Amino acid sequence: MKALRVEENDNVAVVAEDTAGGTRVEAGDMIVTAREAIGAGHKIALEDIGKDGMIYKYGVPIGKAACDIRAGEFVHTHNVVDITEELCRAYARDYRERKGN
Amino acid sequence: MPEITGRGRGIDVKEFMGYKRADGRIGIRNYVLVLSMVHCSNTVAQRIAFRTGAHAVVHDFGCVEFEDRHARTRLGLLKAALNPNVYGVLLVGLGCEQTDAASLLQEIRQTGKPVYYVGIQEEGGSKTAEEKGCRIVEHLVEEANDQKREAVPLSGLVVGVQCGGSDWTTGLAGNSTIGAMTDRIVADGGSVIMSEVPGFPGSEHIVAERAVNYEVGLQVIDMCDDLRKEFLEAHGQTIEEVNPTPGNKAGGITTLVEKSMGNIKKMGVSPVQGLIYAGEDIPHPGLWVLDLRADGPDSNSTTGFAMSGAVMTVFSTGRGTPMGNAVMPVLKLTGNPGRYEKLAGILDFNAGVVLEGADIKKTAETLYEMVIEVAEGKETKSEQNGDFEYTIPRENSRK
Repeated sequence: MKALRVEENDNVAVVAEDTAGGTRVEAGDMIVTAREAIGAGHKIALEDIGKDGMIYKYGVPIGKAACDIRAGEFVHTHNVVDITEELCRAYARDYRERKGN
Repeated sequence: MPEITGRGRGIDVKEFMGYKRADGRIGIRNYVLVLSMVHCSNTVAQRIAFRTGAHAVVHDFGCVEFEDRHARTRLGLLKAALNPNVYGVLLVGLGCEQTDAASLLQEIRQTGKPVYYVGIQEEGGSKTAEEKGCRIVEHLVEEANDQKREAVPLSGLVVGVQCGGSDWTTGLAGNSTIGAMTDRIVADGGSVIMSEVPGFPGSEHIVAERAVNYEVGLQVIDMCDDLRKEFLEAHGQTIEEVNPTPGNKAGGITTLVEKSMGNIKKMGVSPVQGLIYAGEDIPHPGLWVLDLRADGPDSNSTTGFAMSGAVMTVFSTGRGTPMGNAVMPVLKLTGNPGRYEKLAGILDFNAGVVLEGADIKKTAETLYEMVIEVAEGKETKSEQNGDFEYTIPRENSRK
């Protein structure tokens, strides 16, 4: 079973087909075993991610782990906190303060 | 013919065979356009184009428009004519429309392009106007066919990147491949234009960080603040409250950053040179953002690229679309391998191989080679099929 890890520093990959628990999943040279069923287009953790750890996809943090996530687990809204608003707001605020530096 | 370094061998492409225009810009086609001045002249323009192999640009405007709205109509028509892919132009009007054909003719002629006008009232009706128009266009097509390609620098290549009809493969496989291609084009001195800015909020911190200087980064942040306000005013909820949508989540998208990144992935990681607005040409090569906020069909953004001097658009789709453009080849790819097989009649490139284990950068290299082939004359499916849309984008915030 193939999964796509878009960038080298991503800690999740996207499974290309519906994947049953126990399936061996290859994402480039990373190999993990799915711990549960994961639908096509959904994310699988490639390594253990501790609570509050960043979820990296497309090479950037896309959210924060709501709990400890183990390699092979399904990663989605049930175990990820959407931190978009604080990321963008904090960045915009800091950016405006950078002026003149 | 000069040797083209590395062409087709996956190495640097610094030159390609294109057409140098009188204004110094580079075209990759020699299209002849039949521009309708007003909706009353649309079908005559279409018949002339159909009989001669030229491309018609038609629209539902050109009369009884408020001045600011009409300015956009005129800009759309003028910029179609001025696109470097266009060899020559026939303007077809009724005779009493709001569009000032004489001033358009004058402005196009100043760039050194052959341009003519046929008026239905002046010619004594639509059939006589059609016959006269056909004779003019046949002559233009003959002249266009005599033009010769020459080696031109890649800095003359301006490519739009876009997606539409998305599925879960689009951001992931299709746009990631386009992004790696963008970086290759920019590294070789060419230009890429990205738009679809309503999809930027959620990744402005990524885009602004790639700005060439402080001011450009601030423009990106200001644009996203504006878009957030516009969204709240229109829908009574914030972008974050509504996104990702239940459909996005069902498809595997967890957060807005993730959704937004799937869109801006088409920009690769190249430095952002600045923002341009509808009808503005890019000031110098590199990656640019076209701040176009028109609601409506995919063709709005594609036409926006054409109006800013793009000579090709690379378009990523999940479900599949036949879309082309009247002044540009549109090279369409999908990140969905099954779709590519089913819709090979409208799609040019299969980026779905990256879901089957192919390397994104290597796939992008093959795509880049196809971009150069198209730049040098290889027809895209949109051209073979005769899909030549041109949709003048209308923006509520800017008339």
